[in-house]
Amino acid sequence: MIALRGVHKSYHTRLGHREVLGGVDCVFRPGEQVGILGRNGAGKSTLLRVVAGVERPTRGRVERGMSVSWPLGFAGAMHYSISGADNARFIARIYGKPLVATLDFVEDFAELGEYFGMPVRTYSSGMMMRLGFALSLAVDFDCYLVDEVVAVGDTRFGERCRKALAERRERSALLLVSHQAETVRAFCTSAAILHGGRLTRYDDLDQAIAQYEAG
Amino acid sequence: MRAATGAPVLPGLRVQLRVVGALTLRELGTRFGRDNLGYIWLFLEPALLGGAIGLVHHLSGHALPGGVDVGTFWVIGYVPYYLLRGVLNRGPSAIAANQSLLYHRHVTLLDILLARNLLEGAATAGALLGFALFFGLVAGEWPREPAKIVLGMLLMLGFAHGAAMLLATGSVYSEIFDRVTHLFTYLSLPITGAFFMVFWLPTELQRAALWVPTVHVFELVRDGQYGTLVPTSYDVPYLLGWVAALNLLGMAGLRRARRDLAL
Repeated sequence: MIALRGVHKSYHTRLGHREVLGGVDCVFRPGEQVGILGRNGAGKSTLLRVVAGVERPTRGRVERGMSVSWPLGFAGAMHYSISGADNARFIARIYGKPLVATLDFVEDFAELGEYFGMPVRTYSSGMMMRLGFALSLAVDFDCYLVDEVVAVGDTRFGERCRKALAERRERSALLLVSHQAETVRAFCTSAAILHGGRLTRYDDLDQAIAQYEAG
Repeated sequence: MRAATGAPVLPGLRVQLRVVGALTLRELGTRFGRDNLGYIWLFLEPALLGGAIGLVHHLSGHALPGGVDVGTFWVIGYVPYYLLRGVLNRGPSAIAANQSLLYHRHVTLLDILLARNLLEGAATAGALLGFALFFGLVAGEWPREPAKIVLGMLLMLGFAHGAAMLLATGSVYSEIFDRVTHLFTYLSLPITGAFFMVFWLPTELQRAALWVPTVHVFELVRDGQYGTLVPTSYDVPYLLGWVAALNLLGMAGLRRARRDLAL
């Protein structure tokens, strides 16, 4: 279970103090696939980073009763000057996973061909996305945090990710942020709307999407 | 966070060791590449620079006050200074260069700094070991008390690591640290104590020089090399005080910086 208790997050910017999350209270349980809908700039990625624990809330707290992935998207989590294979070795080492099995899995799942041995900075954005996803699946988290880019990229790979996540449906949770209702419909069983720094959960997916599209 | 929830400390320590180990290996890969003699450069870089300086002064034939051996004096001054400068200069860029790794929750800023600086320490230790063997075998100049040299290098690493943590903290809030650190380490070379001995100075100046913490390190290392051949003055507790203070402040700083860091 992941619980957010009165989570606030604000940043100091050139334009002054800016509050992005203004008191988010929410619980995510194992096996849930939750889509978080929000317009551009609503704070979706910030929410994901706070849930992941890579940024600290300004106020409030996040309780993690299960292992949570890093936020999967384009940026972050990888080192660009080393190869995909070296990134896989690094991930295996810091998460205490067997080296060879991890390498094999990532090579197989990411389908990078000979690029697997080349520096990540030479990859296309689609390749980076595949590598990132493969790395996180290799670690085998209880909860996956996904930024929409992963879902909308390469459709064949999107299908494989969907399948990989579906296989884990029983034990894995998924938190997917998107500004597109279709993406959420394809991956999730329930949804929430992030608006004005607050998160509203809906048990019914259609109701959430209708509400989102009306707003 | 882990300690607050009452979880045992040992698994936490194991994770930290694992992370620091992985970061060190990655740092090796990014700095020296994985091809050819990549890793050899780690030791070769300080060794070549130190060797060149020792050789130039050896050939120039200028004797040093107190009859100190010229080659060893410049080399054992230069190698610890190389460690100090390397760690300090790389401090302000440490966080920016590794920011993407913070996406892994249990990678901490302290881990990043530790990995980089331990690697720097290993490089200079390797170079110094090579020199000790070289001078011993070729010139019969074996260190009188090697343990003091080891202690000196450890204290230098601790001192530089503490200061680098503060520089890294500063770099989160201002770019000024990245800009002035190189200038500062360059300009401060004459007062670090790398290339003078305290007993060469007039009494007044000696007292002033001994306020500088690194002066103690170089004197300690020289004591280890020359023993009673030359008079050395240093105060290990004074140095330990600096190391402890810088490290505590540095770790507190990094904790604060991590909270304010936006990825």
